Amino acid sequence: MTPGPLLLEARHVTQRFRLPNGQVIEALRDVSLSVCEQEVVALVGPSGCGKSTLLRLFAGLARPADGSVLYRGRPLKGVLGAGAMVFQSFALLPWFTVAENVAMGLEARGVNGAARRDAVARAINLVGLDGFEQAYPKELSGGMKQRVGFARALAVAPEILLMDEPFGALDPLTAENLRSQVVDLWRDASTGVNTLVVVTHSVEEAVFLAGRIVVFGSHPGHVREELVNPLPYPRQERSPEFDGMVDRLHAILTATLLPEPAPAAPQRLIPFPRVHVSEATGLLDHLLSRPDGKGHVFELAEDLGVDYDRMSAVVRGAEQLGWVTTPGEVVQLTLVGREVMAMDDSARKDATRARLKKHPLFGRVIAMLVESEGSMEDEEVLADLTIYFPFIPADSLFQTIVEWGRYAELLDHDATAGRLMLTGAVEGAPDVPAG
Amino acid sequence: MKPLRLPPALTPPAIRRLGLADVAILCLLGGAIAAVIAFAREFEAPLRQVVQIDLRPSALPKYTLYSLARGVIALAISYVFALGFGWAAAKSRAAERLLLPMLDILQSIPVLGFLPGLVLGLMSLFPTRNVGLELAAILMIFTAQAWNLALSFYNSLKSLPDPLRDACKVAGWRASRTFWQLEVPAAAQGLVWNGMLSMAGGWFFLMVNEAFRLGDRDFRLPGVGSYMSVALDQGNGPAMALAILAMVAMIVCVDQLLWRPLVVWVEKFRLDETAGGGGGEAPASSWVLEFLRHARLPRRAAVLRRQAYRTALRAARPLERPLAIARPVIMRGPRFALAHPVARWVGGSLLVAGVALAAAAGAWHIWLLVRQLGARDWGTLIGSAALTFARVMGAVIVSTAWALPAGIVIGRSPLLARLLQPIIQVVASFPAPMLFPLVVLLFERAGVGLGLGAVALMVLAGQWYILFNVISAVAAIPQQLKDAATAFQLPWRARWRSLYLPAAFPALVTGWITAAGGAWNGSIVAEYLEAGGRLRTTAGLGSLISDATAHANFPLLAGGIALMSLIVVGWNRFVWRALATRAQIRFGLAQ
Repeated sequence: MTPGPLLLEARHVTQRFRLPNGQVIEALRDVSLSVCEQEVVALVGPSGCGKSTLLRLFAGLARPADGSVLYRGRPLKGVLGAGAMVFQSFALLPWFTVAENVAMGLEARGVNGAARRDAVARAINLVGLDGFEQAYPKELSGGMKQRVGFARALAVAPEILLMDEPFGALDPLTAENLRSQVVDLWRDASTGVNTLVVVTHSVEEAVFLAGRIVVFGSHPGHVREELVNPLPYPRQERSPEFDGMVDRLHAILTATLLPEPAPAAPQRLIPFPRVHVSEATGLLDHLLSRPDGKGHVFELAEDLGVDYDRMSAVVRGAEQLGWVTTPGEVVQLTLVGREVMAMDDSARKDATRARLKKHPLFGRVIAMLVESEGSMEDEEVLADLTIYFPFIPADSLFQTIVEWGRYAELLDHDATAGRLMLTGAVEGAPDVPAG
Repeated sequence: MKPLRLPPALTPPAIRRLGLADVAILCLLGGAIAAVIAFAREFEAPLRQVVQIDLRPSALPKYTLYSLARGVIALAISYVFALGFGWAAAKSRAAERLLLPMLDILQSIPVLGFLPGLVLGLMSLFPTRNVGLELAAILMIFTAQAWNLALSFYNSLKSLPDPLRDACKVAGWRASRTFWQLEVPAAAQGLVWNGMLSMAGGWFFLMVNEAFRLGDRDFRLPGVGSYMSVALDQGNGPAMALAILAMVAMIVCVDQLLWRPLVVWVEKFRLDETAGGGGGEAPASSWVLEFLRHARLPRRAAVLRRQAYRTALRAARPLERPLAIARPVIMRGPRFALAHPVARWVGGSLLVAGVALAAAAGAWHIWLLVRQLGARDWGTLIGSAALTFARVMGAVIVSTAWALPAGIVIGRSPLLARLLQPIIQVVASFPAPMLFPLVVLLFERAGVGLGLGAVALMVLAGQWYILFNVISAVAAIPQQLKDAATAFQLPWRARWRSLYLPAAFPALVTGWITAAGGAWNGSIVAEYLEAGGRLRTTAGLGSLISDATAHANFPLLAGGIALMSLIVVGWNRFVWRALATRAQIRFGLAQ
């Protein structure tokens, strides 16, 4: 199936959100992307890269702050009538039966009476849920719920099917089964669905489904790279071609997630990823067990049973502490990392403390605290973080700083009073030099 | 629009001959119609200065139904209000900013103080009929019912998951359909539970609402509240007992016939799909709902309704074309007003200006009244406020002293909670002021004056909120925490100190807020009441307000109400709110 005429297009789209604390986050900046008929496009990237935001813009559920979304060359007004959507959380009305849920979109499209009953029956049949018409969602398993989600979308015979992590909430077996059925539905001309846009964080899923894979970068969200996937359908997982494609995509993602550190400007503040202490040491532990203390990011993710996103965040955290290096997409335990792992708990804390004092971000927080005699209101620190990292929710960055600071016995936090302090600042003068 | 339906019936939907259940439903329906007609006739009755209340027991059922009708009508109005109010607050940021504080204040001020103004205003609107008085009574009940309903609906709308909203939008649903089929069902549980509370709250001032004196004028409406007050005036013991019995019977009936079935039915609209409620309690059941589900009449009625709907659609078909042509023309104005930025700005400014103007006018009028008060009046006002404040705090302390341990004991045993909850619920719904005179007489016999006795009355008015909150908080403690306490063999004292008391504390604070509110409200009746045919008063802000009402001293009334509102709102804002936040941070179970 070769791509047909242009169907959906985002032109220089920018989108912003206001967080409850007033901070404005840019979810997308100047993103342009087009989707053609007969295409399957996958949007992949780390969490918070705006891929779901773009999908909602395509669906007409939100308006971009800047730029425009076009359907067949015309600006999209209101909800995309030619599209249907499948949600990660299923989004079924619990007080509607399966049949009523599937019929949700039909009335607005003027399908009534016998035609509506037919459309519902056909859609339910397509997803293999015959016999469950009168069941309520709470009686169904996760996989069956998502089948209802697909039936609801297919019932309106959409030109384009938008899917937001449709298999994300399912167990792996169910997900795999449903995934190949989606490909079958797309290849089956009788369903009328010939264009798919799918948001996913699973590399295998993107390679399995998509003819074109768009890789997003974050802070703010932007298109990093587009990759054409020429493998013929139906695709065989674990075939050499398939694995080759997966590796290529992994390489691109790794370059997106773990950019080579810029050599210049060593004092530039970089955000510390939302990583727990135990996760970082867990990674080092695992690396120690591997030959030469190294491994691919995605291998590590698989071995440790965490998703790719999470793994790369942990790697970035460990890298900022100097415990690992990342030449290319390989994670390599450093000498410092080996030493740290050989230490007992209190020595490890001391080493971490020494390291954090040299870290630009922690150093800045420590310096601020020293200036204000060892103790500050949370609000002040949050305001400072917001100025430096406008694209990152300041709350979670703050939580991370507190956790690492506490671990290294560098910082203390009084949640009731809402104050951040240097450890030991309560009793006497701060003994920590300005970083 | 498809209305909410009952869950699927247990028997196949074949139409058979009528059963016993259907006869019962028909009878009930007839009774309801008759009651409404009787009530309407009473509405239209010419106003008599003094309605003669018939103290014969045979008259009591009629009176009870009158009171019930007032409560139900007020509740219906409250629901309409809550849906509109909650929707507006949840949809528009500007409305939210205005409406939420308004709600906060409205639910904490003593609305009883507004009764005189309301009665006089409505009476002047309908000078020759009882309608004004009836409306005033219904409005007063409404003011005790509406706020928590509105807040509950608003909270449900705000916590609705985004994907569900998106799914409705993608399906192309109109706003009205999303409202009735997504937003209202999702809020149904909260609306029913709060409706239950509201109904109970509405009875609180029943006696005052139905038998109300302003200066030398005596406004009376037939009802169980006025029956009780006449019985009290005449010192008629048996009649008092009968009135209390009738009230209890009404509360039990409403609970069994209306709320139980509704509570079970709305389980269907639970959003989180985990089975069962908190604390692993057995699923609630209702014999009335089972009865209805087995009945065949409702199903037959549904068929008829569907047919009627189709017929109506067919009849309306000739109108469709003109309507289709006219609609865009009619809608152009509103569309323009909503879509055009300048028009929106102008509209918004006009709205803000209107609200500001109304607020200014209100402030000016209260100022005109309060200005007439002298320095000595203010001295009295502040002195009595201090007295009543001390009583309210005393009532909160006394209530806590018994309700906290009792709540913990009941809450940690699921069996005890299940057995006692319905009983407590009925007892708590009983309007405490009806018991006040009896309690006061009892105290008098024991040699305690009203100065202290009023504290006991306030306890009666506020204790249940503390008990309920503590029970539900303790019942919601995760089983694993309790298991841990058992596994580490904590002695009972340590178990209370380290587990039950901290876990109950946030709910306790919430209970305090409501209990103190109830006590302030109760002070208006508790510090100034007739018992045994004699008026008894004790110094305090509540008795000051009541006295000002009785002597039609409007400046003092306005001053008293304003002062009480200020104290309650201020205390809520600065003390309770801060305490609640701290309690939640320190002792909240969410990790």
